[in-house]
Amino acid sequence: MLLLLAALPGLFWEGGADTASTLRDAGISHIVVPAAQSQSWNGVSGITVETGDLRGAVKLLTPTVNYRMNQASASREPWLVANGWMFLRRPQARFYYDVPGEPAALAAAEAFCYGANALVKTDGAGLQPLARMLDFLRGLNREDLPPVADIGFIDDASPAAGEVMNLMVRDNLLFRVVRAPDPTLKLNVRLGSRDYPLEDAKNPKVMAQTIRTNLTDEKRTLRIYGSPVVVARVSASAGRIRVELLNYAGPARKVNGIRVRVLGNYPQHRLAADDGSGVELLDYTAEPEATEFTLPELKTYAVVDLSH
Amino acid sequence: MAASPLLAADGDPVYRVVTHFAPSPHPGMPGPYPGQVVRVHSEKSIDSQTDKVDRAVVKQMLSTGMRALTGDSRDEDAWARFISTSDVVGIKVNCSGAPRICSSPEVVAGIAENLVAIGVPTKQIYVYERFENQLQSVGYPKYLPEGVTVTAAESSRGSILGYDPHTYVETSFFGEEDTRSNLIRLVADKLTKIVNVPNMKEHQAAGVTGCLKNIAYGDFSNVDRSHRFEKTNTRTFIGTLAATEPVRSRVVLNIMDGLRGVWHAGPFSTNPRFRFYPKQMMFGTDPVAMDHKLIDVIEAKRKAEGAVSLFDRSREHLGENSDPNRNHYIREPGHVEYAASKGLGVYDDAKIQLKVMEL
Repeated sequence: MLLLLAALPGLFWEGGADTASTLRDAGISHIVVPAAQSQSWNGVSGITVETGDLRGAVKLLTPTVNYRMNQASASREPWLVANGWMFLRRPQARFYYDVPGEPAALAAAEAFCYGANALVKTDGAGLQPLARMLDFLRGLNREDLPPVADIGFIDDASPAAGEVMNLMVRDNLLFRVVRAPDPTLKLNVRLGSRDYPLEDAKNPKVMAQTIRTNLTDEKRTLRIYGSPVVVARVSASAGRIRVELLNYAGPARKVNGIRVRVLGNYPQHRLAADDGSGVELLDYTAEPEATEFTLPELKTYAVVDLSH
Repeated sequence: MAASPLLAADGDPVYRVVTHFAPSPHPGMPGPYPGQVVRVHSEKSIDSQTDKVDRAVVKQMLSTGMRALTGDSRDEDAWARFISTSDVVGIKVNCSGAPRICSSPEVVAGIAENLVAIGVPTKQIYVYERFENQLQSVGYPKYLPEGVTVTAAESSRGSILGYDPHTYVETSFFGEEDTRSNLIRLVADKLTKIVNVPNMKEHQAAGVTGCLKNIAYGDFSNVDRSHRFEKTNTRTFIGTLAATEPVRSRVVLNIMDGLRGVWHAGPFSTNPRFRFYPKQMMFGTDPVAMDHKLIDVIEAKRKAEGAVSLFDRSREHLGENSDPNRNHYIREPGHVEYAASKGLGVYDDAKIQLKVMEL
């Protein structure tokens, strides 16, 4: 079973050594530079440098939320731009973001959350938010816990399957890619089967709803109430479960409270949240069937460790 | 709770009510006066030219209404039937059309003054609503006795922090991810009694918004999901929420502020054409009987304006509601009758006693 590797994303920086003070001022202490720039960074103090490039790496979208207030819609759900499904589809691939400004921090958190091998390319405005996030990620207790899945998804590598996986990630339907139905999982999904006809996959939202219905909410390891812009990643080992929460709206639109429900009884908890000093879990209840808590504030990324 | 809508045999959504509150031996709704409604009308209560409320007349209407409802000759005795000095009292206002139409500050202040008069300390009185921006647009504090708290559940729109995570109604209407509607924390944790102060308004989805809707959709989170589509779930959701403990037990009095009204495109009243002045207040403990009378008021006004009935369900009348014969939703005034089936009051018109007082 693939473990969450919790690799720290690197800053991909094309500037020369004359930009060192800019990086240092922003709090950046490590960069990945193109080979052509590598020599110019020799001897620069306060910044460690490694060589890398973006060739062969898969470009990711800027993680964000599109509220689409100007478009009529039957649903008021905002549209989340999330890359989780890409990581789940190609766990061994190299990825990169080209994300100017504040969202660089969310990009780093997203990649870290999925244990992805990713570089983040950003501009001057993105340096400080990215540095703060990398500091936070560096300080987390890195544990290689296996991800939790309720659903096994047989990925035929088609665009339709990708879209369904994208919707499942956004809807917090925890899945992992399997080659064949896994009887240990609560539900297995193969597009084109009787229960999941390809015709229905033309509307991936409908397909995701069908999957949710067949799984049932009662069997979902995780539920989130109170915000449609938070995506969770869950990993666990005996007696412990880790819930990682990403706010795709970013710190400019922090989430003012979500209620989280996790199957299982976990009386102990520990919270780490970026820029979240003083934030504590509220209304914590651990009962035989499930554990619930309220996270009163989520800026970009939080990690909640629960244990017996 | 399943993801797709769960429907009962009758086609209604399935609700899971989660509450640890037990009903009181004598729940506030329908209370001691089931099927009884007092209407007090006064032409002098509000100037329809200037929209100015006569505070002295409102005070007189409150006194007349409470005495007529209870049969008491003193205001203090009438109020003391419902509230004691140890109670922590919530005045549930309606600000969803504020500042154009809302629970009038003159009415709310009059209620608070009566509570103070029977000995309820001002620090035990809360004027509350769900949305802070709407509540603040009214400016209640300058009308209220000093010490009364004015507070909202959502200082930041959509925040769940003002709601009790342990008291909720769970349902899936259309596969929405957030399937819970939680009770306002103030109601769960602090209030022992509630005075409900709705307005007289048509509602595009529910048909009318009176006692039941103000105490249901006004006390729980995440309720607008019931009317995302033309065919709504307001018929069953409103009564289900209103009947959830502790709401049912703690709402001991309904005072409907009908000084102003909205007869179409409610509840927000953005179009002045659809406002009117019923110049009345209704009193009772039975929200079903009162809302039945509200339906009568709105229906009569709509008829006078040549608009289709609240009960019209034809699709040809769906559409842009700047035309009073069109509406965005199929209205569900049947939510009032449904609430009777939840034990909240009397819907049968033949069993409703309406006492009309003219000032």
